[in-house]
Amino acid sequence: MSINKKIFSLAMITLLFDSSLTLANENLPKDNGHAQELIGITEEKKAQTIAELAARYDSAPCMDCHMEVYDAWEKSLHARSIFGPDKVGRTAATLKTTIENGLKEWAFSGVKKPEDVGVKHLMICAKCHLPQLQEAEDSVAQEIVKNVYAFVDDPDNLEAKKALQSLNIGCMVCHNRNAIVHKWTDGTPQKDAVYGTKDDVHMDDKHPFLKQSKIMKESIQCGQCHGLGPNFELENPTQCATLYGSHLFAYIPEGGQATCQECHMEKSKLGHNIQSYRSPEMAKMALDVDVEAKAFQWRDVSTMTPAAQVTVALTNKAGHAIPDG
Amino acid sequence: MGRGPYEKSGLLRDTSIPPHKTIKEEFSIPVYTEKQKDGKTVRDIIANDFTIDVELWYLPYGRKDDSGNAQKWFTTSKAMRIEEGGK
Ligand code: HEC
Ligand code: HEC
Ligand code: HEC
Ligand code: HEC
Ligand code: HEC
Repeated sequence: MSINKKIFSLAMITLLFDSSLTLANENLPKDNGHAQELIGITEEKKAQTIAELAARYDSAPCMDCHMEVYDAWEKSLHARSIFGPDKVGRTAATLKTTIENGLKEWAFSGVKKPEDVGVKHLMICAKCHLPQLQEAEDSVAQEIVKNVYAFVDDPDNLEAKKALQSLNIGCMVCHNRNAIVHKWTDGTPQKDAVYGTKDDVHMDDKHPFLKQSKIMKESIQCGQCHGLGPNFELENPTQCATLYGSHLFAYIPEGGQATCQECHMEKSKLGHNIQSYRSPEMAKMALDVDVEAKAFQWRDVSTMTPAAQVTVALTNKAGHAIPDG
Repeated sequence: MGRGPYEKSGLLRDTSIPPHKTIKEEFSIPVYTEKQKDGKTVRDIIANDFTIDVELWYLPYGRKDDSGNAQKWFTTSKAMRIEEGGK
């Protein structure tokens, strides 16, 4: 009797599972080679507009209960990851250069004019600057390109600036989308959960579960975007940040033990306002400097050379080379 | 970042300061002017007492007049003396 029941409920589960998979498949855009990948990341339709993609990864709802964290995060470059440092917008400007001096110039890129730029072209940067762009249609890439040109051509264009800053490395990029690296081992992130350091319930209606991310306190969490060298998986490899490579292959072999989080979030006391040299806290932690100087007369037969010799010893206390780039 | 991230690949030369290590930079500062006199090179000391100022700047975009980016990380001054005499 009980065995029968078990078999029955098992069959039910299989049925349910099957139908939900078909559903997910129906939702996928027909054309596209990312379908497989998409199942792994989300069962949602791809976003069609900047507003839609921004809403999916909006950090504002988290603000209600995590005010301090939100305020800190908002000051960081992660909060403007396709715009760059406030006012200058160097990242937006470099995206334009990438199109003008790169994509348009390259014979095989498929880009002759800005209107030809699609998601796959922007991914050579968005891989790290906006990984969730993978979950958007080319219409979003087009809207980004329009806003990049609008801002670079007129830095007073606040609307373009706002649109570009609405897309960023927000709470749900680190605490959901990029909270699991080994998806065959640990599964893909669950949409209704936020990932932190433990399993628990979470007071947020939209994300009622708190799940443990195995990497939240590990350097690899940050390493996903902070670069190892050329990004070989791209059809046309780019290279921007390479600092995680330096952490792995120079700092660790020299006996370094600290994680990115320990220095940038804890020791710095900056929490989610993750910063580099632009903050005095980090600049102070960067180097030890020791200067020795001697003055003397150097005699070479009859030629006298009055000179000073200065030795500057620099010890890099960071967890990687300085600077990155 | 010298060149655009879209056109870089690999490393040609690494001018960064390596982590968890001490590197030394040596500077030789001549304290004389030089002239030709009777077919011979003659050196005149500029000063026997002088000050050496050492400043360490971090110039992420290669320029000093770059507020918000360029940083003076360290500064020190050393009083120097070269004894007079000794021809
Ligand atoms: C209604 C209030 C509320 C909202 C909204 C909310 N949280 Fe939380 N969250 C909490 C509370 C309370 C805790 C503490 C739970 C605990 O420590 O057991 C928490 C804990 C967390 C943690 C802690 C993890 C850890 O390792 O201890 C993370 C990460 C987190 N929230 C992320 C988010 C994100 C991202 C959002 C927005 C999508 C969000 N929260 C929205 C109330 C909220
Ligand atoms: C491997 C991940 C990765 C890729 C790919 C990547 N970037 Fe970056 N980029 C980063 C990270 C991380 C930083 C910040 C860290 C740093 O400054 O060292 C950064 C910094 C920058 C900066 C400097 C921002 C500032 O502080 O002024 C610009 C500009 C930039 N990227 C543009 C681009 C462009 C354009 C592309 C595509 C052609 C691109 N990046 C590709 C990860 C990446
Ligand atoms: C760049 C990645 C990143 C982003 C973006 C990010 N977090 Fe975190 N967050 C972390 C990491 C890493 C930790 C764990 C730090 C540790 O304990 O070492 C953490 C810890 C937390 C914690 C628990 C500890 C604490 O500081 O209270 C909460 C709550 C939290 N994050 C909420 C948020 C919210 C809300 C946002 C958006 C406003 C956000 N995080 C954005 C990486 C991120
Ligand atoms: C999803 C990708 C991503 C993740 C994950 C991520 N970062 Fe970043 N980070 C970036 C990008 C992109 C920038 C540069 C944004 C810009 O200015 O264009 C950046 C900027 C920074 C900066 C400022 C660099 C500067 O030039 O001032 C620091 C420091 C930093 N990240 C540290 C961390 C640490 C520590 C973690 C892990 C807790 C982390 N990041 C996780 C992508 C990421
Ligand atoms: C031992 C402490 C320590 C560890 C570990 C550490 N950092 Fe840093 N990091 C620093 C300090 C100090 C600076 C400030 C110097 C600077 O900006 O160059 C810095 C600067 C940076 C910068 C800006 C570099 C630049 O071009 O000037 C980035 C980006 C960054 N860290 C990211 C990371 C990431 C990602 C990790 C982990 C893979 C990490 N850091 C590990 C201490 C640390």
